[in-house]
Amino acid sequence: MPGERYLKDRIGLYALFCVVLLAFSVVLLLLPYETVYVESREGLLVFLLVTIACVFVFMLGTTYNALIWMQGKGLVGAPERRLLKAVGLALRITLSRRLWKTIRIFFRDALYLSKLKGRSKTRWLMHLLILGGFLLMFVLDLLVTFSLDILRYQPMIDEEGWAKMWIRDFAFDLAGLMMLLGLSIAAFRRFVLKPKIVKTELPDAVSIVFLLLIVLGGFYLEGMGIAASIRGHTVNHEYSFVGYLFSFLAPSSVNEFYDEFWLVHGIMSALFIAYIPFSKLFHMIATPIAIGIDGMLTEEARAR
Amino acid sequence: MRKLDISTLDVLALMRYDACTRCGECTSSCPTGGEAQDIELVTPRGKILRLRDFYRRQYGLRAKLLGPRDIPEEELRELTQRAYECTICGMCRTVCPAHLDTIEMWENMRECLVHNGLAPLSAHEQIIKSIENYDNPWMQPRTQRSKWSKRIEKDVIVRDALKQRCEVLYFVGCTAAYDPNIKAMAVNTARALGLAKVDFGTLGNDEGCCGSTLLRTGLRDSAKKTALRNIALFEKAGPQTILTSCAGCFKTIRQDYPRIGKVTADVVHVTSYVGELIERGKLNLNRRVDAKVTFHDPCHLGRHNKLYDPPRKVLESIPGLKLVEMERNREEARCCGAGGGVKTAFPELAEKISALRVEDAERIGAEILTTSCPFCYQSLKQAADARQSKVKMLDLMELLNLAL
Repeated sequence: MPGERYLKDRIGLYALFCVVLLAFSVVLLLLPYETVYVESREGLLVFLLVTIACVFVFMLGTTYNALIWMQGKGLVGAPERRLLKAVGLALRITLSRRLWKTIRIFFRDALYLSKLKGRSKTRWLMHLLILGGFLLMFVLDLLVTFSLDILRYQPMIDEEGWAKMWIRDFAFDLAGLMMLLGLSIAAFRRFVLKPKIVKTELPDAVSIVFLLLIVLGGFYLEGMGIAASIRGHTVNHEYSFVGYLFSFLAPSSVNEFYDEFWLVHGIMSALFIAYIPFSKLFHMIATPIAIGIDGMLTEEARAR
Repeated sequence: MRKLDISTLDVLALMRYDACTRCGECTSSCPTGGEAQDIELVTPRGKILRLRDFYRRQYGLRAKLLGPRDIPEEELRELTQRAYECTICGMCRTVCPAHLDTIEMWENMRECLVHNGLAPLSAHEQIIKSIENYDNPWMQPRTQRSKWSKRIEKDVIVRDALKQRCEVLYFVGCTAAYDPNIKAMAVNTARALGLAKVDFGTLGNDEGCCGSTLLRTGLRDSAKKTALRNIALFEKAGPQTILTSCAGCFKTIRQDYPRIGKVTADVVHVTSYVGELIERGKLNLNRRVDAKVTFHDPCHLGRHNKLYDPPRKVLESIPGLKLVEMERNREEARCCGAGGGVKTAFPELAEKISALRVEDAERIGAEILTTSCPFCYQSLKQAADARQSKVKMLDLMELLNLAL
């Protein structure tokens, strides 16, 4: 059957898509959020619904980008079926004897950016700070959500608990600071130095400015919390070392707007996720995959 | 509405288009886009972004939801023209922080353009027809292919590998076989092999074009036919080693043929082979060549095959010769400008790039500029002559023969 354009050839991917989105939505909506800093439950619900919508858009955009890859030669069948097969193949290869090699390639070339380091130390540092900060924040978010809302881990909840001070306060600020430094270098290079190789079009500017606003907004939000001594921000401010500096910019009277600002920051972060597949930031997903596949495939396999 | 068919683009290539970070590292080092012309669309980033924009208009999520958008014919033609201004030198692969295999991408992009009826360029058509009809790009009769060997038949016996089994099959290549200015490359190679008493032969008049030009210009199907014909001859001859003196043939037989058919023999470039002969004491270099020499790394040998040391070892073993390096050498070597069909379609652009390379050699005070690729040789010699440069152009095998 040329092309395999029947529904049965496509349904598998969309069924998987729905299951993943549904599972994500259920988990997100069922978590208790008892320790979240924001008090407005309506605001929290709006944030959660926007997040689900944005994750849906992110998944849809990513899937469609991957479906474009599957229009190329080298695989047979409907693009949806090809994609499922490709994911299966990638998992099999990754979990095969080549696992160690895959991990090594991923860390060396995709995360540590070994090649960029050799060509420009400044750009390597800039990119590493942005990527490292972003990944650290993502991991911390998962860790904190899991330990707070599922494990109810007390040292993560208590204001003077070690996990609260070192992970919720210090590590988050460190991740944010890494991103802030990296983005500042990127912005300075792109908008002030303007080296010849840099080409700035709207998507390039939007990506940097969007991320900068989110990071700065996050620190300002933390500063607002500290300035107003809201729940979770009453003691040990030195651990939130960047947020503490921002607290001097935020008068304590802004306390009443904390929930609204939290919602704006949350929605911007969610929108950023939705924006990824439609922007140059999609390289965050495509580049590690391309590096991984290139590193694993032999010449012969690539030829097939 | 003009439909862009992307079914000939590799899955990996499509993935790599999305993996491009737009950093621009490739733009300044691109010999045709950055150095010689400063045109963004010729640079790797320019081509990637333009083609990606085109296919997303017709295959992206927005196209699915709101319908595909048209791609103006003139924009497609412009991209095609620019895509063929690339020498496929691979400098962009060397510098790309995202590790994109751009060499594969450009050849594949051209294959897609051919598939969509936008290419090959008219300048390439004559060469392509010649390969398809005469088995060589120079419109020369097949019967003249082995004529070069007449020059040395008194000194060396060049056997017919199809009639007599030989250990080594010397794949001469079209340029060395037919071009009167390059014939010395084949003669010198055969002479060195003869002096070292290597059991070698050629395919004689049956040797066909390796198909490099077809592959580099995106005509994969025609190249496949050519390759299969040669592979059948290799199997019939049954050598242990296939030796090439042309960097283009070397890349094609070593890298591309195994994707098309089975090549059982080892594919070796003459610089590696001769280097071993010298090391094993089978070739005695007893004449001095007192000169300051620099080596130009052909892209097909260097960046494409990582073969940097063998030619240098051969040069270093020549008594009296002083090897000096140009500022850009090995993986960072500047392209000669002739590759990827650029010399045929855009001779002025090729000359501009070749002149930059000759300048590199002049800057370090080299007396001789040597290389191991007939196309680089031709191109650099022309540039050196045009500049009335003091740098003399010599093929590496010619230089070696001066010492024998």
